[in-house]
Amino acid sequence: MTERSVDAALRAYAAERKYHPTTIDRWLRLAPADRAALLELAQELRLGENQLRDLWEWAEEIAQRDGLSLATVLGAEALAAARRRAVGRSDKLKLVKAALRRLRFPQLGAAEDRLAVLVRELGLPPSVRVTPPESLEGDSIRIEIVADSAASLHDSVARLLAASQSPGCAAIFELLAGAR
Amino acid sequence: MNRWTPDAIWIERDEDASVLARRLLARLPDTPVHIVGDPREAEPLDGFGAGKRRLVVQRHRGSFLQHCPAGTTGMVCCNYLVMNFAANCPFDCSYCFLQDYLANNPALKVFTNVGEGLAELDAALRRHPERTFRVGTGELADSLALDHLTDLSCELVPFFAARSNAVLELKTKSDCIDNLLRLDPKERVVVSWSVNAETIVADEEHGAASLEARITAAERVQAAGYKVGFHFDPLIAHDGWEEGYPATIAKLFRRLDTRRVAWVSLGSLRMTPRLKAAIKARPQKSGVVTGELVPGADGKERLWRGLRVQMYRRMLEWLRSVDDRMPLYICMEPPGVWEKTFGEVPADRQVAERLVAGSA
Repeated sequence: MTERSVDAALRAYAAERKYHPTTIDRWLRLAPADRAALLELAQELRLGENQLRDLWEWAEEIAQRDGLSLATVLGAEALAAARRRAVGRSDKLKLVKAALRRLRFPQLGAAEDRLAVLVRELGLPPSVRVTPPESLEGDSIRIEIVADSAASLHDSVARLLAASQSPGCAAIFELLAGAR
Repeated sequence: MNRWTPDAIWIERDEDASVLARRLLARLPDTPVHIVGDPREAEPLDGFGAGKRRLVVQRHRGSFLQHCPAGTTGMVCCNYLVMNFAANCPFDCSYCFLQDYLANNPALKVFTNVGEGLAELDAALRRHPERTFRVGTGELADSLALDHLTDLSCELVPFFAARSNAVLELKTKSDCIDNLLRLDPKERVVVSWSVNAETIVADEEHGAASLEARITAAERVQAAGYKVGFHFDPLIAHDGWEEGYPATIAKLFRRLDTRRVAWVSLGSLRMTPRLKAAIKARPQKSGVVTGELVPGADGKERLWRGLRVQMYRRMLEWLRSVDDRMPLYICMEPPGVWEKTFGEVPADRQVAERLVAGSA
């Protein structure tokens, strides 16, 4: 696509989605390759204005931090892999967003991964759900137990009790407390 | 550090005969002056940076004495009071919250009715003789950056020196201390500096005194009988922070007497969505927006908690290795972060008492 045709497509897409003129102006002020890369992403995922702005903001911050262009960030393998997945638009958007978040928050992402491993290693049954605080901004985890009988409740509680006494459980709280 | 001077002065009509206005006119004889009926006429239309180039001289409306806004619900608070004798700051730190807070009103203002503010404070001190108040003038302005023009410290220091139940904190990133050296604080004034890793000072604190100049100024006021304080706020998780912050701590306390340090505070970078947008809109790009900041319960973004607590703990280690008796506190953090950092959650009153004791 030529620069002119990218701009025409961008305007058409933004008009169809009723984007605010300031967003369109800002988009058109990007370097041509960045403009095109963002358009490709928007068209592929049929992004509304707020969805586009969220992804754009993270991508722009990654680009600034790492000294890359926006197009390079949007072309990163982690995002490309998410975009290649044969899933519906909504799921693909979630995957792309998660991949971009990993790039934007690498240390937080690594801590969340460590936490997920620790939770998995507790060996809890599917009836017990462990939810860490959003963005690990908190000290507490939420535990939910789903039971359909006294026996299943007893079993879940027993396994939870055993898990609570394991070193892995202590490690979860240490991680939330900021231990390396 | 070059002493700041404005490009133009705007004086509210009826205030042109005030002591402050006459002093400014005498010290800035070549600066264009406009007398205006309404100080808002002086508001610049061309952005926050331009606002810092104009000095507006006006009366302060409303109460001078305010509770520090850091005492947000859910945060441990040190019961600090603030008095604003000026609004906005000649320095242009990339992360400064004033870019959001004063976004619609960015001219640099100095208030003429200082005496009224001090009378208000005096009444409060007399009403509560049992309490010792910590009062700062560095919330909406740098406490000393304009002192070479206003001589405000020459009114404040004697006022506090004459009272037994209040401590003044003059918080600055400047080295404008000449007036202070001629005054006797009588242990009622703490002069404190916001400090940071050298690379943050150089890259993000535009126009402020260098770290070296701040330390030299601190050394001089300490020698002149003042207690000093330091604020590592905002702590920024930049590449090399684990070298940069201990290097600053080492530089500071190689030259300063830790027994004459009233307090050291730590605070992680905090950012509202509006502040982030304001920083991004400024012509000079800043790396502070690219940190791993996530929203907290108060709507402000901070470094995510695990990393933030790590930074606080490391800072504590480094500071305590210098002198474990220096009073330390963290600013605008919930009890959970205090607990993880200090191993305790003091009541607000206890924090305040410890800091008053540090200043005594």
